Amino acid sequence: MMLFLQTTINGLALGGIYALAAVGFSLVFGVLGIVNLTHGIFVIAGAYGALILFTQFGIDPLIAIVPVAAVMFVVGYLYQRTIIHWAISRASLVASLVVTFGVAMMARNALQLAFGPDIHTITPSYSFSSLTLGDLRIDVVRVVGLAASLFLLIALAVILNKTHFGRAIRATAQQPLAASLCGLNVRNLHGLTFASGAAMAAASGAIIGIVQPFAAASEVAWTLNAFIVVVLGGIGSPAGALVGGLLLGLINAYTAQFIGPALTQAAMFLVLVLMLLVRPNGLLGNAFGETR
Amino acid sequence: MSSRTTAIAITVLLVLVAALLPLWMGPFFTRVIQLFFFSAALAVAWNILGGFSGYWSFGHAAFIGMGAFSAAHLVAQLGPFGSGPWSMVVPVLAAGLICGVFAAIIAYPILRLRGIYFAIAMLGVSQVVGELVNNVRWFQGGTGVFLQSPVPAGMRPEVFYYYIFGALLLLGFLISVAVRNARFGYALFAIREDEDTAMMLGVATERYKIMAFVLSATLVGMLGAVYGYSVGYLTTYTVFRLDFSLNMIVFCLIGGIGTLYGPIIGTAIMLFITQVLLSRFLDMHLLITGAIVVTIILLMPGGVIGAFNSLRRKSSDQANTTRAEAAR
Repeated sequence: MMLFLQTTINGLALGGIYALAAVGFSLVFGVLGIVNLTHGIFVIAGAYGALILFTQFGIDPLIAIVPVAAVMFVVGYLYQRTIIHWAISRASLVASLVVTFGVAMMARNALQLAFGPDIHTITPSYSFSSLTLGDLRIDVVRVVGLAASLFLLIALAVILNKTHFGRAIRATAQQPLAASLCGLNVRNLHGLTFASGAAMAAASGAIIGIVQPFAAASEVAWTLNAFIVVVLGGIGSPAGALVGGLLLGLINAYTAQFIGPALTQAAMFLVLVLMLLVRPNGLLGNAFGETR
Repeated sequence: MSSRTTAIAITVLLVLVAALLPLWMGPFFTRVIQLFFFSAALAVAWNILGGFSGYWSFGHAAFIGMGAFSAAHLVAQLGPFGSGPWSMVVPVLAAGLICGVFAAIIAYPILRLRGIYFAIAMLGVSQVVGELVNNVRWFQGGTGVFLQSPVPAGMRPEVFYYYIFGALLLLGFLISVAVRNARFGYALFAIREDEDTAMMLGVATERYKIMAFVLSATLVGMLGAVYGYSVGYLTTYTVFRLDFSLNMIVFCLIGGIGTLYGPIIGTAIMLFITQVLLSRFLDMHLLITGAIVVTIILLMPGGVIGAFNSLRRKSSDQANTTRAEAAR
């Protein structure tokens, strides 16, 4: 019983990070209709950014979230307005899948050339301490990571639901044409949505850096995780990402504990395929937007 | 009719030239062309599903890996099947069969997904199969398996595999020509254009999709088995490689997806650029491939063949207008 509880806690802590890493992907998918295969690169780039700031300037990764996310916001905006926009207008939505894959390859190679293929971790002073509660143990970094994830997810939810900017994004997601007729600058909004997604991914990357080891090659895994989270939870909302992320974290932890640590990916994809077959809209359905 | 005879004549001529080339070609270029045959055959096989029916698989490397590992385990468990080149026949055919059966099993659920969802689900399948092969001890993906070399004595291995892969490319190409000209091919095109309408008009979409998937997987599985032989010693990461999956798509895209010659032309262009022109920048391969992919999609979304066709259409339009003006 204790083992089960411990596994559950570990799974939830992991799931919070999955949720944060996936929410940007989910937003871009929901609003722009693009499956952004560069998403994992944003995550890993955030982790590398936090690593540089930590080793060169001694900045704590949690504070590094702010500059890293700001940089990726700009990068994401420019990337959407140029390459992705061109790909969609000249070719098709499916072509954007291949273009983002191509860019991901380039970026992965560039990261490998810049940082080497080695696995890195960020180790702030609190990285080896843990809290105990009776027989339960939980690492401080995981608690911190989960708390930061929840904070950022809630912030995004508030922005989407309560601000003018958020309403504009939701309107664009539902009906781009009608939104532009109402005077919204849809192209700019698409760019900003994409940029927000990239910023959230980079923020999650900074947190991932202290919780888990990472390398340039692990971007594929983070893109896939984001996709699974979105399929589990539903497209386009922070709540969906949270539900999907926590579920994925639990699946991961239970499989590793009770079936075998080598089979986590297999279990995750099994759930993905089952979910696609049974309820393709995700548990929370389409949060906003019409049927796509 | 005449264009068809010229196409046949050109194909026969190319086959003859290809058959004679190794006689006076150095090992490096034999190897490059051998790689070209292998990659083009993969692209042609991928194109039967992805190009004709529009179901883009991002995980066909799963079948390369399954094919190679099936052949290796078959030889290890059931003993050698003769010696020399003929020892390959049973394992390679069996590998194709195993991949085909596996594809048939996963086809029904997975082909209900469309577009992006199908693509990612296939990526997932390849990751899962790769992980199982790597981690379940019986498969020995982590430690690696051997395959006895089938190269006959006195023959250089690169020349031997040159012919084998060349023959497989020809086989795949002929199959894809046959598919395209049959009712099967028209059904696949109908599915690509509009699956719901095709179904409404009485095309058995489910059956044709599964057939294309199984055919494609079988061909890739056989190629994977032969690739396993050519490598000799293989671990999970020799064959379950993401770049294999990606290359099949990229080569088709560059040549022209859904066309007969597109995959072959695309492979030739990409391999020439990456293997010959840029052979000294091995650590930047991904970067260069990615850059080419992005450029091609942005500049010519229909691939080389698509660009060529639109160019021809444009010039014939021009000719028509000048003719019309002259008549006036």
